Amino acid sequence: MAARQAIQVGTKNVRPVLSLNAGEARARVLNLYKAWYRQIPYLVKDFDIPKSEEQCRARLKEMFLNNKHVTDIRVIDILVIKGQMELKEAVNLWKQKGHIMAYFKPTEEPKPKDFLSKFFSSNE
Amino acid sequence: MLRQPLTRALALSSPARAAPLAVRRYAEIAPQPDKVEVFIDDKPVYVPPGTTVLQAAAQVGVEIPRFCYHERLAVAGNCRMCLVEVEKSPKPVAACAMPVMKGMRVKTNSDLTRKAREGVMEFLLVNHPLDCPICDQGGECDLQDQSMAFGSDKSRFTDIHFSGKRAVEDKDVGPLIKTIMTRCIHCTRCIRFASEVAGVDDLGTTGRGSDMQVGTYVEKMFLSELSGNIIDLCPVGALTSKPYSFVARPWETRRIDSVDVLDPLGSNIVVATRTNEVLRILPRTNEEINEEWLSDKSRFACDGLKRQRLVTPLMADSRGNLTPVDWEDAVVAASRALRDCPADKLLAVAGDMADAESLVALKDLLNRLGSENACTEQYFPLEGAGIDLRSTYLLNTGIANVEDADFVLLIGTNVRFEAPLLNTRIRKAFIQKDTDVALVGPKVDLTYDYVHVGESASIVKDLASGTSSHEVLRKLEQAKRPVVILGADQLKTQEGAALLAYTQELALRLQDKLEDKNWKVLNVLQRTASQVAALDIGYKPGVGALLSAGPQVVYLLGADSGVVTRESLPKDAVVIYQGHHGDAGASIADIVLPGAAYTEKRATYVNAEGRAQQALPAVSPPGQAREDWKIIRAISEVVGVRLPYDNLDEVRDRLSEISPALVTYGDMQNNNYFAQARALAQSLQKPVSGNLDVKLKTLEDYFMTDAISRASPTMAKCVQAVLKQKQSTY
Repeated sequence: MAARQAIQVGTKNVRPVLSLNAGEARARVLNLYKAWYRQIPYLVKDFDIPKSEEQCRARLKEMFLNNKHVTDIRVIDILVIKGQMELKEAVNLWKQKGHIMAYFKPTEEPKPKDFLSKFFSSNE
Repeated sequence: MLRQPLTRALALSSPARAAPLAVRRYAEIAPQPDKVEVFIDDKPVYVPPGTTVLQAAAQVGVEIPRFCYHERLAVAGNCRMCLVEVEKSPKPVAACAMPVMKGMRVKTNSDLTRKAREGVMEFLLVNHPLDCPICDQGGECDLQDQSMAFGSDKSRFTDIHFSGKRAVEDKDVGPLIKTIMTRCIHCTRCIRFASEVAGVDDLGTTGRGSDMQVGTYVEKMFLSELSGNIIDLCPVGALTSKPYSFVARPWETRRIDSVDVLDPLGSNIVVATRTNEVLRILPRTNEEINEEWLSDKSRFACDGLKRQRLVTPLMADSRGNLTPVDWEDAVVAASRALRDCPADKLLAVAGDMADAESLVALKDLLNRLGSENACTEQYFPLEGAGIDLRSTYLLNTGIANVEDADFVLLIGTNVRFEAPLLNTRIRKAFIQKDTDVALVGPKVDLTYDYVHVGESASIVKDLASGTSSHEVLRKLEQAKRPVVILGADQLKTQEGAALLAYTQELALRLQDKLEDKNWKVLNVLQRTASQVAALDIGYKPGVGALLSAGPQVVYLLGADSGVVTRESLPKDAVVIYQGHHGDAGASIADIVLPGAAYTEKRATYVNAEGRAQQALPAVSPPGQAREDWKIIRAISEVVGVRLPYDNLDEVRDRLSEISPALVTYGDMQNNNYFAQARALAQSLQKPVSGNLDVKLKTLEDYFMTDAISRASPTMAKCVQAVLKQKQSTY
């Protein structure tokens, strides 16, 4: 079993989650990406969301690229697992329209921290 | 005028008045007579002889119901609600008027007592309308509460002849008090307040039995600056607030404890709000300051908080009209003006109602810009000790201690309108302790008799040097606890410094001879709520010299009293106004920054006796208005001289660095260094020749004196009503 073999992360030897090396992890990411990519036409139809397929694909790419800085194989694996779960929920219609639309939620502006921006932005 | 003998006055003073602080130890300590033991519901209690049954009961925590009895007024004993059974007495006795006797056994909850109360309630209600659903007193009505607690559970009132209940015509006593006289239960509290505390003997009763009426005999306005208090005193809904009529029920409002800033005393108030609106202001008991009274301006000017407000930043456009802009634009414009101004051409003026936090922020900002030109509108002489010694500009005796005085000398002040609740203390001393009062200045009605020494300032000089032949000098020198109160308005003139020096000389000469070494004689009565804090922080009093130097940028912090005008400034001067009302200051401004009024911010105010108190936010500032110190803090960052505080606690740390007295809330500091101030003032004792004059002479002058009360329609109505009353033949 893969889980018994130790992998090298940084300087430490740790137990792997799924993948034993970066190549394996990369394959899992690409598989997940493709699965989502192929599902997009059905998602647009099933959930009747006010987005086109192109927009969804762009968003999908954006969301994957959000994590492109991740190098730790175990973190990549966990992200893949979570992505898989999300996909399953979408495919099985366990999600509702709002859940899909939540992927398109406009980025929240961080609350102002310093005095001046608090003074100008809020009513305090 | 009625003065009660001393024994009666002592009996009147309530047990609650017993010294809450060490300062209040001046009352003569009579040899402690043996206390008598009485039993209230079989609980033994020891009280001094002369105590009433009601007071004795209060000591063991038994509250006897009452309508007419009020601890700050004389005993009337006419409502009979406080009837209690006393063992071996054939009839129930009125607890409020009955002095205790040795071994008396009082039963406050016996069958006889309860029956007596029930009977009294029944008689009261027979002639009281069933108005509660439309009565403004509903929810805070003593009659309502007590009829629930002590009344009968069933009615015997049938009115089979349809004759109706007693009905009484309503009176018109002015724009503040609404009268529905049918509801009156003849407790006579209002009559006693008017004659004892307010000193306006206008109210009285006519008729007997069921024809009895409380009123003013002829149709007449209740001409007093304390008239609102009879609304609080009225146990039923006969006297209610006219501006507040049909506005809200007490259980709908949120009540926030705060302090008043419309006069220099800093009376404690409760602000009642609903839906982010100030609905009314009521007094909050503070024995050291306002007891439980409140002056009419403080109470009724709150509708001015909703009118003429600055709700958005404004800037003068190319044609000179003020137009709304964003905070960013206004702050950047103000900062640019401040940054481009040479430090010596910068002037900041603090107004009547500036709080200590914004005062310190503005002064810090100015100092960081290299300027020292922070000043207040009110002048105070800087010669001699100037404002370096706190005792020279404070009411050192303390408001509460004034009633222990045995001689009061007023110099150039109409206390009645400059500080109405200080005047009630003097009046109280006059009535209860035979205190004599003398006045140097224009003859005004102070509601009590006084010796009018004259109007000339030279009188003060003669008194100070001991060369006066007037009897007042002899009386002053014989007095054991004299008080000298100097009105701060007199110090504005050329002779102000000399007048202050003479007053110091006089007061200190008297003080040195006193047996009681802790008694302070010298008092300066400031005119505004902000002045003491400003002087504590180090503002220069008065704008005179700084204004004539031709400033380029003037920063007005709520300065609305009109000492800075466009005419007095160079043509190209930039005026930045920060404040809450569109009044004199905003009308001459190029940049207007909307601030918060005293009900909208947590802020520190220091009253005339130097007592720091905290106002709490009852509502949020309207529109885009912000808390004042934050505006200055924001500007400082844009100018590039960031002030080192980001929240209120840090501002208050800064305040305590300047003076710890500014953050010791509720405490009055013991002021000293009188002798040093006197020594420094010796050289200033120059001849004086002018006459003393006061601004507020009669009641119509009193109502509209600051930005809030000038914006208040109720206050405007008061002025009109007083003027109309003056036309009347009565």
